[in-house]
Amino acid sequence: MNTNYILSKKTKQVFLFISVIGILLIALGFVFENPESKNIWMNVLLNNLYFLFLSLFGALFIALHKIAHSGWHVSLKRIPEALSSFLPYSAALMFLLFFGMHDLYHWSHHDLHDPIIEGKSAYLNLPFFFIRMAIYFAGWIGLSYLLRKNSISQDLSNDYKFHKQGKTLAALFMAFFAVSSSTMTWDWIMSVDPHWFSTLFGWYVFIGLFVSGIAAFILIIAFLKSQGYIDFVNKEHLHDLGKYLFGFSIFWMYLWFFQYMLIWYSHIPEETVYYAQRLNGFPNLFFVILILNFVFPFLALMTRNSKRNIKWLAMVATVVLIGHWLNIYLMLSPGILGETAQIGLIEIGCTCLYLGGFLFVVFNALSKKPLLCKNDPFLEESFHYET
Amino acid sequence: MRRYISAYFTDEENLLRASKILMEKEISILDILTPFPVHGLDKILGLKDSKLPTVGFIAGAIGTIFAFGFQTWAFVVDYPLFIGGKPHFSIPSFIPITFEVTVLFAAVAMVFAFLFRSKLGLGAKNKIHDERITDDRFVIIIEANENDDHFNNVKTILEQEEAHEIQLKEHK
Amino acid sequence: MYVSPIREPLIKGNKTYSQITKDIAAPIEGKPGKAWYMGLTISLSAMFFGLAMMGYTVWEGIGTWGLNRTIGWGWGITNFVWWVGIGHAGTFISAILLLFRQKWRTSINRSAEAMTIFAVMCAGLFPLIHMGRPLLAFFVFPYPNTRDLWVNFNSPLLWDVFAISTYLLVSLLFWYMGLIPDIGTMRDRVTSKAKKTIYGLLSFGWTGSVKHWQRHEKLSLILAGLAAPLVLSVHSIVSSDFATAIIPGWHTTIFPPYFVAGAIFSGFAMVLTLLVVTRKVLNLENYITLAHIESMNKIIIATGSIVGIAYLTELFIAWYSGVEYEQYAFLNRATGPYWWAYAIMMTCNVISPQLLWFRKLRRNLLFTFILSIFINIGMWFERFVIIVTSLHRDYLPSSWSMYKPTIVEVGIFIGTLGLFFSCFLLFIRYFPVIAIAEVKTVVKSSGAKEPKN
Repeated sequence: MNTNYILSKKTKQVFLFISVIGILLIALGFVFENPESKNIWMNVLLNNLYFLFLSLFGALFIALHKIAHSGWHVSLKRIPEALSSFLPYSAALMFLLFFGMHDLYHWSHHDLHDPIIEGKSAYLNLPFFFIRMAIYFAGWIGLSYLLRKNSISQDLSNDYKFHKQGKTLAALFMAFFAVSSSTMTWDWIMSVDPHWFSTLFGWYVFIGLFVSGIAAFILIIAFLKSQGYIDFVNKEHLHDLGKYLFGFSIFWMYLWFFQYMLIWYSHIPEETVYYAQRLNGFPNLFFVILILNFVFPFLALMTRNSKRNIKWLAMVATVVLIGHWLNIYLMLSPGILGETAQIGLIEIGCTCLYLGGFLFVVFNALSKKPLLCKNDPFLEESFHYET
Repeated sequence: MRRYISAYFTDEENLLRASKILMEKEISILDILTPFPVHGLDKILGLKDSKLPTVGFIAGAIGTIFAFGFQTWAFVVDYPLFIGGKPHFSIPSFIPITFEVTVLFAAVAMVFAFLFRSKLGLGAKNKIHDERITDDRFVIIIEANENDDHFNNVKTILEQEEAHEIQLKEHK
Repeated sequence: MYVSPIREPLIKGNKTYSQITKDIAAPIEGKPGKAWYMGLTISLSAMFFGLAMMGYTVWEGIGTWGLNRTIGWGWGITNFVWWVGIGHAGTFISAILLLFRQKWRTSINRSAEAMTIFAVMCAGLFPLIHMGRPLLAFFVFPYPNTRDLWVNFNSPLLWDVFAISTYLLVSLLFWYMGLIPDIGTMRDRVTSKAKKTIYGLLSFGWTGSVKHWQRHEKLSLILAGLAAPLVLSVHSIVSSDFATAIIPGWHTTIFPPYFVAGAIFSGFAMVLTLLVVTRKVLNLENYITLAHIESMNKIIIATGSIVGIAYLTELFIAWYSGVEYEQYAFLNRATGPYWWAYAIMMTCNVISPQLLWFRKLRRNLLFTFILSIFINIGMWFERFVIIVTSLHRDYLPSSWSMYKPTIVEVGIFIGTLGLFFSCFLLFIRYFPVIAIAEVKTVVKSSGAKEPKN
């Protein structure tokens, strides 16, 4: 059994190819779509967030399952660890926003004569915005690095102290993540519509992060299995990941519904304008997102067997990943681009460009450590369990 | 007079092994009674999967259509009123009740299907084979035929797995 | 299945199946101690006092309560939400912990589910008695009638009717279906003809047949799958009673999941209050171990932290929104005439559960017991603060007023406490407090050693 993943030249070429296609599409987009700088920056922000979420999920999954004393996931943990290795790149990309702040965030302009935005200026100002960004990434990168280091230390030694250390690190990460996961969404997404607010927003975006992350996790497993690796990942593991995808897609819908329904019901204009823009400007996209993120996974993953088949799971995961990309698109574009925005060559191109780079970083990280960890006190449980 | 062989086990591991051997030898097992669900036993016996989930799904779907349809009919067709400026076909308002009725129909249907199929209920007259079953005894009930050899065969297999009180009994 | 040796055993004392049956059946077979009789007397007295107050309310009208035009909801609905919230822990333990394969739930699910049913019964009393004409309560159901009127499907109060009814019925079914095999055990153990007949009837003829067990397991799994979303939906619908309004402090999108987290938080606290005592008095410490107590405390700190984060989010967004009414609502909560209620809420709900980060405290029975009561007090005040502070001062200062409960309202609440504890005491006397059959399935796979395979 291959214990290490080998990032073959062919695979590297495929990733490169995806990015090159991306560049080509962007170039074509410049020719045919005549984008302004705000179109470019919207796409930078969109993809920054999308791939940051997949990466953060990796660290979250490890931390969450560690403090829950979960055993079934242990043989899989190298995959989310690899996902979290993209975080430093996410940081660099996010700090790039410094150059696009005026295109993305109205509140970053001066002399707006807007009392509402002035009222928020103690929070929404450039220095504090970037200080917070630094704090978020310092915490996420630092703690995820320590968690990965702890994981490898456990591989090399049988000492129980690493297991205990890991639990402490996991608890620290969860506490930090609990707060930063909400505040980052307020900073980077909610403030795009600076007159709007929703207390549920942070948690709603967080669940989208979780679902996308599970979907990415499933796709990586599908890919590795197709190359002959990780045969210790069995139907029981798939079943559990499938349950997560099913259950949390329902949970996402529940949060989407209540945010929408409560704003619809009270009919207060300063809140409803958010949904009016989206329903009126993007009527088809609005409902396509619900179908891809809820209706489809709900029906497709209801039966027991559907969750135990890697090909079926991978297909559903792909649909969900597209759906959540579209969701972030719809969260950002009305505020940045207005109701006439459309998904075109630039959008697809930028995502392809990011995707190639992301895949390279993650699979490269995967290749640096043995795919199967050692000495974890719960490892045996991960091999012998039934859902 | 129908006869059967009954045997007791005190440990479910023995029961599982004995059942496996009996199934391999194609000896007809009438029933197995246990104090708790023994994992893997239904697979060994080749029992078909329960259809309760299907019942639940269909009943739930009926609940969804009924609840959503009824609210729509009442508020759009039968007696449309303007309430709080909401449209007559106020879909977000209809969702909570639709969801609850779906769950209600699914749960009630499955419980009744379970009781009906298992012949359990308030007035059920099921024979209690032995009062120790609900405590700590696992009982196999095997169909007996007139052949003494058959009985001895079965007895040997069962004794190998530490069965107790292997008896030939008659149906009442 | 393999169980890692670093996990604590779920059942201590190397119990055989027969010992498990004996230990759990013992309280039902023996005579209850003086404490049980005393407890029952006190709670029945409280219950009858409450019934008298309820009767008085129905007879004289809601004028006997301290409500007024400005504050139309006070103790009544605070109590309603408090009780429904407590009920959710039972379903969480039975359904959600089952879906997450947490085997430790088998020692506590039966009593937690019973607690849910009693709590929802208590909750259901409030909508009933707060109606002007409770005898016409059936008006809330959409049946064809000569008044030619349908119920208001647009109202969250009506969604509540469906949600609470469904929740009560499904919880009851889930609890009872799980009980059937255990009632079978009691039927087979008791000797008196009367008891045998009654338990016999209630056991529905359970035989222990493998096919029945197969269906029973499937049923439990799917009922769990149905009950889990109920935990979320019911309290979300209850929170919509407030969130769909337009007044500051009520209209906020975070209410549904925040209320659910708060419900699980207070519910687990109540489970701990009940079980810390029950395990000692009924000699069930080998089944409801310190590991179980610790696990429940972990859920408390998790949900308590979620509630705390929700408080902080509401405070921040109130400021961020720039809406002066929203900002005043929170300023008033902290510094206005009900500041003391807010202080109790913050201390009990946010500060005290954070002490559970310390393992020693998580495994300390006295601390757990005291903390669990503090949490329930805190959660009561949370609902009180939300309801009363937002109502007593909203948009129009000329309507600002104050609210004080009357002895009638307080008496009704005490009555529901009496009803709850009476039911629970009767439950532990006549039914197995622990899921006998379920515990037998986990006794082997509980740490210590590898099971034979």
